[in-house]
Amino acid sequence: MSASAHRPAVPAADPVFAIEADDLVRSYETHTGVLRRHRLHVGAVKGITFGIRSGELFGLLGPNGAGKTTTIKMLITLLLPTSGTARVMGYDVVRETQAVRERIGYVFGGDRGLYDRVSALDNLRYFAELYGVDPAFQQRRIAELLELVGLNGREREKVEGYSRGMRQRLHIARGLLHDPQVLFLDEPSIGLDPVGARELRQTVRSLVESGKTVLLTTHYMFEADALCDRIAVINAGRIVAEGTGADLKATVANRTIVEIETFGATPDAIERLRADPEVIAVNSDQREQSEIFLVQSETGAQITSRLLAALGDTRIGKVIAREPTLEDAYVDLIATTGEPDERSARAASVQ
Amino acid sequence: MSGLNRVRPLRLVWFVTWFNVRMLLTSEFFILTTFITPLIFATLAFLLFRSGGGTAGQTLLYVALGSGMMGVWSTTLFGCGGAIAWQRWEGTLELLVNAPSRYDFILAGQTLGTVVLGFYGIVATLAWGVVLFGMPIEASFPLMLPFSLLAAVISLGALGMLIATTFVLYRHANALGNMLEYPIWLIAGLLVPISALPFWVRPLSWLVVPTWGIEAIRGAAIGARPPFGPIAMCLLLAVVYYLLARLMLVVVLAKARRDATLTLQ
Ligand SMILES: Nc1ncnc2c1ncn2[C@@H]1O[C@H](COP(=O)(O)OP(=O)(O)O)[C@@H](O)[C@H]1O
Ligand SMILES: [Mg+2]
Repeated sequence: MSASAHRPAVPAADPVFAIEADDLVRSYETHTGVLRRHRLHVGAVKGITFGIRSGELFGLLGPNGAGKTTTIKMLITLLLPTSGTARVMGYDVVRETQAVRERIGYVFGGDRGLYDRVSALDNLRYFAELYGVDPAFQQRRIAELLELVGLNGREREKVEGYSRGMRQRLHIARGLLHDPQVLFLDEPSIGLDPVGARELRQTVRSLVESGKTVLLTTHYMFEADALCDRIAVINAGRIVAEGTGADLKATVANRTIVEIETFGATPDAIERLRADPEVIAVNSDQREQSEIFLVQSETGAQITSRLLAALGDTRIGKVIAREPTLEDAYVDLIATTGEPDERSARAASVQ
Repeated sequence: MSGLNRVRPLRLVWFVTWFNVRMLLTSEFFILTTFITPLIFATLAFLLFRSGGGTAGQTLLYVALGSGMMGVWSTTLFGCGGAIAWQRWEGTLELLVNAPSRYDFILAGQTLGTVVLGFYGIVATLAWGVVLFGMPIEASFPLMLPFSLLAAVISLGALGMLIATTFVLYRHANALGNMLEYPIWLIAGLLVPISALPFWVRPLSWLVVPTWGIEAIRGAAIGARPPFGPIAMCLLLAVVYYLLARLMLVVVLAKARRDATLTLQ
């Protein structure tokens, strides 16, 4: 009710950016403790700015807890920003909620948000009504969408019997019912098997080809690279890099990665590797039996013997020197831009 | 395609009502609450009444309607409040609140679906009374009965909607819902006549809508005069509750956007 009161006075005419965020900030307040209540401020998004052009597929890439979902929820009018502004198709996401909601579709990852005990068709009919799809078009629109996401023929089955991938595709159909210009996909491939994920990427690509603007979040570098025109890497609530996959890769292009497999390495081993003046970064990958160190340097493969020497009598397995990949660029970015957990520092006791 | 419309509230409410009825009927717990509990209430009431030595048909009907209404009230609480808690758990609450349609219409539809189903409880109780306890079915004002029922449905729906708004706001409103169940049975005169309650309870009774709902229905069934007064009170309170619910929604939805209360997280 409140939303429709905020009809914009002047409809935004053909905005340059389909989505623009300007210094968006959002923190959450949570409580811990039963008797002595501690109020905690969690800074989830700490001032992010970006612009996405119409028809662009933009990827927001970052690890768990980076602030991706929070950003999307602000853009789709579900959450108020703590500060900063954002517009979608020229409409302010805080004040012009109705206009924004009419123009956007969104899909959250995971398998929640559907009515399991009825059929896919029932789900789509219900949301078509809520999304204000003209009754005269509903049937045709639903048929088109079932076709698009490849669920035609299965639409009369109950959703509880659907696989993860089918549920995700049903979600996408749901998000597209009112033919929105802008689509938000929050980790759409989460929990999908490789085949399901590939099919989903195919669907996303065809959506962009049909002219939609898509903001997609993911924590898979390769997915962002395979799909997106442009990627922003978000870490601990801040955008730490932005560009095409190739741009990001260029940041580590002249590096060599030495992968050293170790068994029973002591915690100080990584520090000893980092102590080498020519080492730029070391990341560790914990496996079941072993720990693999990924050492980045600009020295080339010849640094290997020095690294092995630094590890002393640690048992060594396979050692490989190789070219950097996009994944390395991403891992490096995340490792060098993270910041210590701020929660405890900002905790305020309020009893 | 620009199919967006905000001019079909009736269609929307009707559609949501119907969908909600279907969804509720897939829940075992709801079926138990709505279809079985009234029968248990009625049986207890009939047995208690008998052991007290009563036999008069009209008094039996009085008891039956009261216990039927107890079931309706439980259904309303569960279906309106509980459904919101369920949607939050299910992840659909955010989708509904954030849809381009007005959320108060969606909520009204959901509530209406619940309450209409709840009124089945009254029918079931009456049938139970006839079959098992030989209760005579008679109505002093048969033509008034549909109006009484309708007024009661509408007013309970409005109250249900008001309750639902608090569930949108508080993740743990379940406790509140449970707390409201039994006191209303007493206050509204479903269990014992209001005249048997302490005097200071009366103003409370007048404010809660099931009091007037049951008055209207009992009036049409076994009253001496047509229940115009109670019907008017039902409708008046319905308007008040509905306006309160809309006011609450504005506050609640603003707070939900600020405090992120629509998901479990
Ligand atoms: N409702 C909430 N209440 C408190 N903290 C939250 C809430 N939602 C998210 N957070 C916190 O905010 C940070 C960012 O979360 P989120 O936006 O979900 O990240 P991402 O989607 O990138 O995994 C995390 O530290 C998370 O724990
Ligand atoms: Mg997320």
